[in-house]
Amino acid sequence: MVSGAIALAFLPLVLTFIIRYRYYFVLFYRAVLVRMWYDCKTGLSREERAFQYVLTHAIPGDPESILETFDLWCSKVEFISNIGPKKGKIMDRMLSEHCPLTVLELGSHCGYSTVRIARALPLGARLYSVEMDARNAAIAEKIIRLAGFDDDTVELIASPSDEVIPRLRADYGLERLDFVFMDHWKKCYRPDLQALEGSGLLGKGSVVLADNVLFPGAPNFIRHVRKSGLYEWKIHRATLEYSKGIRDGMAELVYQGIK
Amino acid sequence: MYFQRNFRWQEIPLHLYPVLYFFFVFTADEEDTVIDSDGRQERAKDKERKKERDRKRRRNVARRASSARKEGKELEDRPEREERRGRKKRDKEGKGKGKGGEDERQEEVKNDTVAKIQKNFSNENTRKLEQKEMEVVGEEDGDTEGKRKNGRSKKDEKKEDKEKHESSEEEEDEEEKEGEEKPDVLSPEELEKLKEEVDERKKLISTLRGKPWPMRKKLLTLRESHEFVEKYEGALGKGKSRKLTVICYRDFENFKTACVPWEMKIKEIESHFGSSVASYFIFLRWMYGINMILFGLTFGLVMVPEALMGRPYGSMPRKTVPRADEANAMDFAVLWDFGGYAQYSVLFYGYYNSQRAIGWLKFRMPLSYFLVGVGTVAYSYMVVIRTMARNANEDGGGDNNSFNFSWKMFTSWDYLIGNPETADNKFASITTSFKEAILEEQESRKDDNIHLTRFLRVLANFLVLCCLAGSGYLIYFVVRRSQKFALEGLESHSWWERNEVNMVMSLLGMFCPMLFDVISALENYHPRIALQWQLGRIFALFLGNLYTFIIALMDEINLKREEEEVLKLNMTIWEASLYNGTLGANSTAPPITVHPADIPRGPCWETMVGQEFVRLIVSDTMTTYITLLIGDFLRAVLVRFLNYCWCWDLEAGFPSYSEFDVSGNVLGLIFNQGMIWMGAFYAPCLPALNVLRLHVSMYLQCWAVMCCNVPQERVFKASGSNNFYMAMLLVILFLSTLPAIYTIVTIPPSFDCGPFSGKSRMFDVIQETLESDFPAWFGKVFSYASNPGLVLPFLLLMVLAIYYLQSTSKSYKQANLELKKKLQTQNEENKKKTKMAAQKAAMDLEEAQNARSESPRQQRNNNASQQSYRGEKNTVAFI
Repeated sequence: MVSGAIALAFLPLVLTFIIRYRYYFVLFYRAVLVRMWYDCKTGLSREERAFQYVLTHAIPGDPESILETFDLWCSKVEFISNIGPKKGKIMDRMLSEHCPLTVLELGSHCGYSTVRIARALPLGARLYSVEMDARNAAIAEKIIRLAGFDDDTVELIASPSDEVIPRLRADYGLERLDFVFMDHWKKCYRPDLQALEGSGLLGKGSVVLADNVLFPGAPNFIRHVRKSGLYEWKIHRATLEYSKGIRDGMAELVYQGIK
Repeated sequence: MYFQRNFRWQEIPLHLYPVLYFFFVFTADEEDTVIDSDGRQERAKDKERKKERDRKRRRNVARRASSARKEGKELEDRPEREERRGRKKRDKEGKGKGKGGEDERQEEVKNDTVAKIQKNFSNENTRKLEQKEMEVVGEEDGDTEGKRKNGRSKKDEKKEDKEKHESSEEEEDEEEKEGEEKPDVLSPEELEKLKEEVDERKKLISTLRGKPWPMRKKLLTLRESHEFVEKYEGALGKGKSRKLTVICYRDFENFKTACVPWEMKIKEIESHFGSSVASYFIFLRWMYGINMILFGLTFGLVMVPEALMGRPYGSMPRKTVPRADEANAMDFAVLWDFGGYAQYSVLFYGYYNSQRAIGWLKFRMPLSYFLVGVGTVAYSYMVVIRTMARNANEDGGGDNNSFNFSWKMFTSWDYLIGNPETADNKFASITTSFKEAILEEQESRKDDNIHLTRFLRVLANFLVLCCLAGSGYLIYFVVRRSQKFALEGLESHSWWERNEVNMVMSLLGMFCPMLFDVISALENYHPRIALQWQLGRIFALFLGNLYTFIIALMDEINLKREEEEVLKLNMTIWEASLYNGTLGANSTAPPITVHPADIPRGPCWETMVGQEFVRLIVSDTMTTYITLLIGDFLRAVLVRFLNYCWCWDLEAGFPSYSEFDVSGNVLGLIFNQGMIWMGAFYAPCLPALNVLRLHVSMYLQCWAVMCCNVPQERVFKASGSNNFYMAMLLVILFLSTLPAIYTIVTIPPSFDCGPFSGKSRMFDVIQETLESDFPAWFGKVFSYASNPGLVLPFLLLMVLAIYYLQSTSKSYKQANLELKKKLQTQNEENKKKTKMAAQKAAMDLEEAQNARSESPRQQRNNNASQQSYRGEKNTVAFI
C-alpha cells in the first residue's frame, strides 16, 4: 500500500502541470465541456448557436459589426476556432499588400474568415469559399449574405476540398489563384497544397496563408513546405485565437515556382 | 559567396553566423565587409595584390641573382629554396586555418599557393635569363655593373612603392635590404641589424591587433612579417630549431587537450547547447577529478591496508556476520540495502579494528583512518577555495550596467555554437533581447509598471516560501513516522513504508524545482538572474531536506547509544554466565572458544550512519537515472514516433522535447557531494561509489543531452556562473562538515566496532600517537602549542591579517576603477580633440575651395591669383 505521504509528494508535480498548462485546460473546458453542456441543453449545434447570437446582436449589412459580435461570442460565451482578431489583423495587412483578385478559402466554417477576407478585397475580386460540412455551409451562407456580400463577390462551395481543387479550373474557369487561405482540417493542409501545386493554379507570387500551423499544428505541411523549395515562407508567430498563453502561428508561403 | 538573395539559414556555414550578424548590424562600410555580394570582387583584389607581390619578388630574385653571381653557384638556388620553405609554411598555415573553419581564407591561401607555384616557374625562367644577361655583359666589370643595376632597380622600386601603402613600402624596403644582406658571410654589424629588424617585426606582430588599419592590411602585414621572421631567424641560426619547437609545442598542446577527459564530448555539447549547459558538464568533470583524489586517499590509505594487512574476515565479532543474519546475509535484497556481508566488510566503519599497528609494515590503521577523514575534508576546502580565487581573478570587476546596448551589440554572440538550430535560437534570442532591452529602457523611463513587477516578485517569493515550508513539514512528518515504524520493528511494514523517507525526499527534490520554475515565470527576470534565483531556491529546498535527514539521524544515533548502554550491561552478564555455566567458580582452565558470530555485539551507530548515507546516495542516483530515462528518453521517443499519427504537433506543441535543466542538475551534483563529505568518514566506500556514479552519469547525461534534449529557447552565456556554483559548493562543504565534526567531537565511539573502539573520543588517537610514537619533546612542544594562551593570539593575528589583506584589496579595486574612469575620460577628450581637428581641417578645406572658386574671377589680377593659389597649396599640404 502506497502511503499518503508519498502521494502528497506528487502534489508539486500536479501543481506544476496545472499551472504550466493552464491555458490548455481552459481551452479544453471551453471548447469541449461547455460545448457538450450547451449541446445537451439547447439541442442546437455550436454553429447554430453562434448564428443565433450574431443574428440577434449584430447589425445586418455591416461586416465590422458581425465580426465584432463573433469575437465577443467566441471569447465570452463559447469557443469556435475562427482566425480571431489578432491573426485576422495580420491577414488583413497581407490582403491589403497583395490586393488579390482571385481568392480561395478552404474551410469557411461559420463564415467569419470569409467575411473578414471579403471585407478586405479590392473591387472586382472574387472569393471562392470551400466548406465540407453542409450544415456549416448553410450557416456560413447566411452569415455572408447577412454581411452584405452577394454571389459576385463570394461563392460558397459546399463540398470537400480534395474534390473541389481539381475541378476549380474546369468548373469555375479559374486560371490563377492569387491568395489561398487554409483553415480546414490540419491533416488536409499538405495534400491540398500538393493538389494546388499539381493543378497549376498557383503562379509566381501567389500567396498561401495557413492558419494554426503550430497549434494544433501541421507538421507534415511544414515539412513539405521546407523540403519542396517552391516557396519563400515564414511563420507569423502569434497566440491561439481567444486565448493568451497558447502559442500558434500562421505560415505565409509565397509561391516561387520551380527554379 | 553564400549570400544570395533568397538564401536559407540552414545553408550558411556556422562560422559565418556572427559575421552575418555583424553584416546586418553594420550595413555601412561595405568595402571592408567580408561578405561581398559574391566573392569575385574580393578575389579580384586578391589577385591584384598577388600580382604586385609577384612583381616585387621577381625583382628581388633578379637582384639576388646578380649579387649571387659573385659568390658562386652554390648559392644560386637559395632563393628558390627560400621560396619553397615559405610556400610550405604557408601551406601549413592554410591547413591550420582551414581547420578553424575559415573556408574563405583557406581558399585564398590555396589560390596563393597555386599562384606561387606558377611564380616559381617564372622565377626560375627570369633568373636564367638574368644570368645569361650577366654573362653577356662580361666578367671584368660584372661586379660594378651588377651593383649599378642593383641600385637602379632599387630606385625604380622606390618610385613604385611610393604609390603604395607606407607600411608595405617599409616592409619592401626592409626585405630588399635583407635580400642584399642575405649572403652567407654576414658581418657582426649586419647580423646585429638583422636581429634588430627581426625583433621589430616580432614587435609589430604582437602589437598588430591594436593598429587602426583595415582588416585586410592587417592580415597582409601579419603574413608578411611572419614570413620574414621565419626566414631570417633561420639565417640567424635559430629558425629551424624554433620551427621544430613550434611543431613540438603544438603537438604537445594537442596531446594535452586529447588527455583532458571528455573534452571533445563537452565541446560538442557546448556547440549544440551553448555554454550554460556545457558549464554543467565542466563542473561535473571537475567534481570527478576531486572525487578521484578522495577515492585514492580512502582506497589507498584505508581500505586496501585493512583488506590486506588487517585481521581476516571471521576472526573477530566485528568482522563476522552475526548468527541471526547468517541465513540471508548473501541475499540480493539484503546486499542492495548494504546489510549482510556488505555491512561486515571494509566498506563500513564498523569492520575496522582498533589494533594500533597492523601488518609487517606496522601501519597505524586508526591514525590513518582519522587523518584520511580529516584530510579529505581539508583537501576539498583547499581545492574549492583555490578554484574560487582563480575564478575571481578572471572576472575583471567592471560594471555591467553602463554600456548595455554596446555590450549587447558587440558581445552577445556565443562563438562556441556549432549547430545550425542553436545558432538560429541564438539569433532569435539576440533579437528578442534587443527588443526587450529597448522595451525595458522605455519602461524604465515611464516606470509605471514597476509596482506590478515588484508585487509579482514578492508574490513569487511568498509562494516559493510556502512550498518550501510545505515540503519541509512533509519530510518532518515522514521522518517522525519512520521513527515510529523503527520502534515497532521494520519487518512488519511494507517496502513502501520502510523507504518512505528516501522516496519522499527524492520525489520532492525532483518535483519542487519544477514548481519553482513555473512560479519564477511570474518574476520576469533575465534568464541568467532567473537561473541564480532558481539555484538559490532549490538550494534552500535541498538544504532543508538534508538537515531534516540529519536531525532524524541524530535521533537514531541517540537511540542506538541507549541500546548500546543496555547491551554493555547485558554483555557482562552474558560473559559471566558463560564462565559460570561452563566451569566452576575457580577456573584457571583453558579459555572457552566461542565462535565470533555468536558473541553479542553493540548496534554500532557509526556503521548505521554510513549505511544510511550509502542508501541515500544509491536511491538518489537511481532516481536521477530513472527520471532521465523516463522524463527525457521515453518522452523523446514518444514525441518523435507518435508525431506521425497524432492529432496535434507533438514536437512544437504540448509535450515537446525537454530542455536540459542546468540548475537542477548542478544542485543535484552539489548536494550529492555534500552527502559524500558527510558520510565518507563512516563509510569509506562512499567516494568510490561517487566516482562510479559520476562516471556513469557523465556518459549517460552526455548521451541523453545529445539525443533527447533540445537547445534552450533563450540560449545564454554562463561564463560567470561557475563561481556561483563554487560558492554554493563551499557553503555545502561547510554545512556538511558541521554535522560530521559534531559527531566526531561530541559523541563517543562505539565500544566494540571501528578503529576507535575503546577510546572515549575519536580524536584521542592523535594524543595516543604523540605519546607513543614521537619523542617526548615533541609531545611537549605540541602541548605548549595547543595551549589556549598561544592559540588565541595566533587566531587574533590571523584575523587581523585577513582584515588587512581585505582592505588592501578593496583599495586596489577602488584604484582600478578610478583608473578605468580616467581612461574613459581621456578617451573622450581625445575623441573631442580629433573631432575638433577634423572640423578645423574641413573648414580650411572649405575656405580653400572657396578661394579656388573665386580664383578664376581674379585671374586677371596676377598677383592676387598667385597668392590665392599658394594659399590653397598650403592648406592642402596642411590637410
